[in-house]
Amino acid sequence: MILIQKIFLFFKREAKLFYSNIADLFSNILFFFLSIFIFVFALGADEQLLRNVGMGIIWSLLLLSSTLSLRKFYEDDFNNSVIKIIHMGGISYELIVFLKIMSHFFFVQIPFLASIPIACVFFNLPINEVYYLILTFIIGSFILSCLGSISASMNLLNKTNFSIGSLIVLLFFIPVIIFSIGTNNSESDFNSLISLLLGIALIFLGISPWSSAAFIKLALRNK
Amino acid sequence: MLLINNLSFSRNDNIIFQNLNLSLINRSITQIRGKNGSGKTTFINVVLNFLESKTGEIFWEGKNIKKNIFNFYNKTTFIMDHNTCTRKMTVLDNINFWSRLSSSKLSKDEISLLLETFNIQKYQNTKTMYLSSGEIRKLELLRLILEQKKLWILDEPYNHLDDLSIEILNQTFIDHINKDGVILFTSHLKPSIDNLEVVDL
Repeated sequence: MILIQKIFLFFKREAKLFYSNIADLFSNILFFFLSIFIFVFALGADEQLLRNVGMGIIWSLLLLSSTLSLRKFYEDDFNNSVIKIIHMGGISYELIVFLKIMSHFFFVQIPFLASIPIACVFFNLPINEVYYLILTFIIGSFILSCLGSISASMNLLNKTNFSIGSLIVLLFFIPVIIFSIGTNNSESDFNSLISLLLGIALIFLGISPWSSAAFIKLALRNK
Repeated sequence: MLLINNLSFSRNDNIIFQNLNLSLINRSITQIRGKNGSGKTTFINVVLNFLESKTGEIFWEGKNIKKNIFNFYNKTTFIMDHNTCTRKMTVLDNINFWSRLSSSKLSKDEISLLLETFNIQKYQNTKTMYLSSGEIRKLELLRLILEQKKLWILDEPYNHLDDLSIEILNQTFIDHINKDGVILFTSHLKPSIDNLEVVDL
């Protein structure tokens, strides 16, 4: 019972931090929309062309703009040792990582969902593609949070070069992009692709708490 | 009571301390004294199991702490040498977070009384990033009273504090010892506390 209270306390703190950092989220969404404008202007006003490439462009820009915020994943809590305080409060590192992934998913990725339908207007996408995009983004962004947790915890002691962390995320995200774009294709089976995406999400949900916790322990030891 | 048995730690073949024995009985206060870089903070981190010791064991109330680490953490307040408050949250938010995390039973009135003693009550709703380092330090030290744990482990508690706050802190230490507590702290200063045991590192 006390543990559940502490979990709620953790989410409450994350929510407070989210509201004080809300400008970061807006700048990420602004980055997303500005890059969409750049693509639209660069491709020209051919309606059919925009419709064909729309889903791919939206997916890759969503990926790029949400990797922007990954650096902050553990950095603040690690630098001022709040992670140690929370751990001493009775929450294991694995649970901290899991809660952190969930809060990143709710507070950073879900707000992006609201911007997807607006972005689809610029590419004149048909409504069923918008549904597919939103559905695959819900699963894909969860995978992104798990991957982001792994790469951010690997980079805790790396103060200079964060692009290496983004490389890991981009590399492992290729299969997710393939399956997500595949749902749009009329020849492929929609249900099996969604099951594949869910499978990938469950694999990373299993892997990331243990691996991130191990990286955090290693980083705390060498701090 | 805390028993430290034959503890040694080395980093890259560089021996930081070796064969350290220490027993902290109830109602005792112990200072680890040493010059800069002598390994005081490392020692504290080894005691709290954040660093793996090379040899030796640590017992809390007769049980090896590694067997049930959360049982040990549940009885311990740890004040680090740097500030652990969240800079983007207000003073009151930080205090509420700490008190709920440690399931503290202190009421709201008691907390505001505490803030008054340390003279930071007027900053209740200010974000901690706007406070001076001495005020943040006092906020950190509030955790000692807030968490109501038996064992206090402090790393350089006197940093940034003015004379009056040092006096209050010493008085708090004495009150805690009289309430059957155990205190272990590191410092390079020589504080004026009665019955202070000093271990040189």
